[in-house]
Amino acid sequence: MLRYLAKRGITYIFMIFLTTSAGYFLAVSSLKPALLEQERIPRPTPEQVANSMRLKGLDPDLSPWERYVEWLTAIVTRWDWGRSPNGAYINAEFGDRVWISTRLFLASIILTLVIGVALGVYSAARQYKFQDRAITSYSYLAYIVPAPIAYFLVQLGAISINETVGERIFFVTGISTPGIQPGWAQFVDMLAHYAVPTVAITLVGWGSYQIAQRQYLLDNVNADFVRTARAKGLTRNQAISRHALRVSFIPVAQSIAFTIPAIFAGGFFAEKIFAWPGVGSWSIDAISLQDVNAATATLAYGSVIFALGAILADFATTLVDPRVRVQ
Amino acid sequence: MSSEITTGPGHTQPDVERLHVAGLHAPSDAVLSVRDLSVRFSTENGVVHAVRGVDFDLLPGKTLGIVGESGSGKSVTSLAIMGLLPSTAEVSGSVMLKGRELLGLSDKAMCEYRGNELAMVFQDPLSSLTPVYTVGAQIVEALTIHNPTMSRQAKEARAVELLAMVGIPSPRERLKAFPHEFSGGMRQRVMIAIAIANNPRVLIADEPTTALDVTIQAQVLEVLHTAQEETGAAVVMITHDLGVVAGVADDIMVMYAGKPVETGAVDDIYYNPRMPYTMGLLGAVPRVDVAEKSSLVPIEGMPPNLIRTPTGCSFAPRCPLVSDACLAGEPALAPVPGSALHRAACIKSGSLGGDVDVHDVFAAPPVPVSRFDAVPREKRSTVLQLKDVRKHFPLTRGALLKRRIGTVKAVDGLSFDIREGECFSIVGESGSGKTTTLLEIMEFHKDQDGEVLIGGISNKQATDSRTKSAMRRELQMVFQDPTGALDPRFTVYEVLAEPLQNAGMDRQAIKKRILELMKLVGLQPDHVNRFPNQFSGGQRQRIGIARALAVNPKLVVLDEPVSALDVSVQAGVINLLDRLRAELGLSYLLVAHDLSVVRHISNRVAVMYLGKIVEIGEVDRVFDNPRHPYTRALLSAIPVPDPQLERTRERIILQGDLPSPLDAPKGCNFATRCPVFAALPPVKQEKCLTLEPPLEPVAPSAPAQALAAHPLPAPDQRFACFFPDGEMDEDMLVVHEQADHHAP
Ligand SMILES: Nc1ncnc2c1ncn2[C@@H]1O[C@H](COP(=O)(O)OP(=O)(O)OP(=O)(O)O)[C@@H](O)[C@H]1O
Ligand code: SF4
Ligand code: SF4
Ligand SMILES: [Mg+2]
Repeated sequence: MLRYLAKRGITYIFMIFLTTSAGYFLAVSSLKPALLEQERIPRPTPEQVANSMRLKGLDPDLSPWERYVEWLTAIVTRWDWGRSPNGAYINAEFGDRVWISTRLFLASIILTLVIGVALGVYSAARQYKFQDRAITSYSYLAYIVPAPIAYFLVQLGAISINETVGERIFFVTGISTPGIQPGWAQFVDMLAHYAVPTVAITLVGWGSYQIAQRQYLLDNVNADFVRTARAKGLTRNQAISRHALRVSFIPVAQSIAFTIPAIFAGGFFAEKIFAWPGVGSWSIDAISLQDVNAATATLAYGSVIFALGAILADFATTLVDPRVRVQ
Repeated sequence: MSSEITTGPGHTQPDVERLHVAGLHAPSDAVLSVRDLSVRFSTENGVVHAVRGVDFDLLPGKTLGIVGESGSGKSVTSLAIMGLLPSTAEVSGSVMLKGRELLGLSDKAMCEYRGNELAMVFQDPLSSLTPVYTVGAQIVEALTIHNPTMSRQAKEARAVELLAMVGIPSPRERLKAFPHEFSGGMRQRVMIAIAIANNPRVLIADEPTTALDVTIQAQVLEVLHTAQEETGAAVVMITHDLGVVAGVADDIMVMYAGKPVETGAVDDIYYNPRMPYTMGLLGAVPRVDVAEKSSLVPIEGMPPNLIRTPTGCSFAPRCPLVSDACLAGEPALAPVPGSALHRAACIKSGSLGGDVDVHDVFAAPPVPVSRFDAVPREKRSTVLQLKDVRKHFPLTRGALLKRRIGTVKAVDGLSFDIREGECFSIVGESGSGKTTTLLEIMEFHKDQDGEVLIGGISNKQATDSRTKSAMRRELQMVFQDPTGALDPRFTVYEVLAEPLQNAGMDRQAIKKRILELMKLVGLQPDHVNRFPNQFSGGQRQRIGIARALAVNPKLVVLDEPVSALDVSVQAGVINLLDRLRAELGLSYLLVAHDLSVVRHISNRVAVMYLGKIVEIGEVDRVFDNPRHPYTRALLSAIPVPDPQLERTRERIILQGDLPSPLDAPKGCNFATRCPVFAALPPVKQEKCLTLEPPLEPVAPSAPAQALAAHPLPAPDQRFACFFPDGEMDEDMLVVHEQADHHAP
């Protein structure tokens, strides 16, 4: 098992390296920070621009290959991901933003999964009853409505709660109130900032899990092996909960591989709307600011998340499907 | 179970009479008594009356065989007894297990009986075990449910004992295995182990071997036999194969359209059938053990739609003896004159006994004679020849960097030829390479390993598309699944017109040819504008045959052409194939797993094992005097619909499954399972293990040679074994002692 995971890990590292390198070449040949620089007033001479770029390791006169070698050497030898055209160090900026993004999404991912799967099982058990119809219709709705709109709606809801109560309970944007004293007050402040985005992302996210889990379970309730279990002397409900349920988790566990990266990748909407300066919004900014190194770093981050999602899915699959373990 | 249930005996007949009709056993003796069992399903199209009035009594330790075509209500009957029908089912009647009524019990109350006194084995072993639990856990679960106080060690010990009983080698280790690590045959053994875990009084087996190869079927039937002996359970054996139950059943119930139409002791049913349907069924199955000189009995038409309640005899639309009296009301199951236990639901049953020949009743067609039959084989031209054809698949492991870890020799040095007007068959277990052989022939590419000659054109010269399309006209194919092979959006006319258009025919000629083809395959010409789904399975297969014949090929490749069809329908298609071969001078290359069918229609046969031909020759020679131990085992594994013969027949039960092609031994492929090899002294075993036996002709018998002046030509039979006359290992030979069989 460990060997299997280690092997998968090495494969993923190799793939991350490839995507990131390809991304760098793409960025270096299409993003031209020097052009932006020339729009500054007073307009600098081309030599000045080239000089300032050279100082930040963004020499526009070098060939893409030379710049790639330089960039890669810095990462491999010093773990230095370079600088932005405005002089900021990628490493420092990146550290802050990763932390913000992770904080924003971690709770939502766990809640999405748990609630989605639980509601899927619940609605399958009550197929075609009122509860099932209500839950499943909601899920389809959540599936169709574009995420940004749903986020706005949740924000509006939070604002109206605030208004009804007449006090600011929830913050609809931002990560924290500046200058709050540490301790209990800071904790309450954090919760007040967290609640709205987490609820919004979870409300939108669980739908697809609920639909999938419900369907997989229903596919299995009349399976031959459930009939065998009943023929042994289990009641229908026992046979379903002991045999069909576990089997129906397998495809859901496998789908984690795509959901986690999808949530992160789709995260820039959430980060923009809730004003959390995370990696998602940074990647958009990097492109508009012609920032080669930041764009590549966000891409690298994306591939790492993708690999993590895949490894996690492997792990979850192994947990529910012992057949994988045996191999 | 939330089905609606009405309990109690029939309302129309007094109890005494019902009992009389249902059998003469006193009800207290029976472990299971079923009375007037009916099942209806409410569907979108109306109410399906799937089971209508089933009665039987099952005595301890006895076996009841339920026989019938697909849809006759066999499975529904068994599921109704188990209380496992979906909630859309409406069940009425009575099911008494040891004097206690089961119908009407809640799901929870039924659980006390299910898996305990009443157990069941299902048809498809591949999907009947939960994939995510070990085999051991699934057996232990069956024990836990009914013996909550049993200790863990005791349960484990019992599980090991059960696995050993059903013949799983090294049972203790195998407890930890998952179902996917087991072959179909082994999974069915596990299912049996689960079913007998709590020593049931009644064991219901619904087509337990239908999904398995014949050699594995023989093993599983043997295991069921042992299980019955060990537990003393009464068995209900459900099957569509009259051979399977002939040897094991004490009583038979033949079902048609949801109703029992004939019941009685096994010998009565097989030797003295009194209902035209039973007679037809028996006449429709070819026999593997005799060279037949008569056509099969086809039962025309289809089983009735169960949504309409029949007003007369439900078999009337297909019965050749039908008269007005048959339509006046559904005939009751009444005792056959002269035998109280034997009952048939036919108003003419009295006149059907004795020497009535089923071939006369059903007007079986005469045996067709081909103009080639009189020409010696050597004088006929060759339509297909294979020379040393091989297909090896590399077996690799690893996702990114593939490592070759071995070779699967799917087809390994195949040579044979087919002459004009001849049917040549390939038989063998699944995995022996039959389909790959066909694919290699269809491939017809010059880079193939080995030479394929079709109508004299070699694949080595076939470079341009012209030669290829010429070859396509020589050779056409008919597939196994008649439904999947026809596009549902095209009418029969369009299906048949396509190959003709490709051949460049004009519209008028196409129209004429299509009408000709429809008549040729026995379909009504005015049905050409129908879509495939408006035809039955047998008719669809006829359309498939018509399509293959459209361009007048010389050779037709038939891949399991009748295995998807019911026996009664199958007979019609086989007769058709027989007739077409004679009338049109066709040659067939047939792949089939049913050796009875093969014997019936082929002239020559090749037996394949792990990609090689182990025995080949004239069909009657090979079947009557098999030389290779594998052929002998294969033939002895096939049950024949003849109870007396079945009861006394010696069977060779091969151990284990077809080995993975990777583990194929160096010398003789068959050594791992060979019953002769197992009994050989080590010196001789060495030879089997190191040398590959060549395919050699059978020497003419010594007395015949002594009488002849010149060396006799070798007969048309070759086989690949060093010790064809070797003794068989005794462990692999099974004869069932003639049990105290009820005299009729
Ligand atoms: N759940 C169901 N709903 C509606 N109709 C059903 C249902 N189950 C079975 N039937 C119908 O009941 C009839 C009898 O089916 P059954 O499965 O008992 O046949 P069978 O004799 O076992 O056939 P086979 O040899 O194909 O297994 C068929 O017409 C079938 O379509
Ligand atoms: S009752 Fe009539 S139609 Fe029915 S099987 Fe007998 S002869 Fe045929
Ligand atoms: S050669 Fe040996 S192992 Fe092979 S079939 Fe003959 S006796 Fe058996
Ligand atoms: Mg069935």
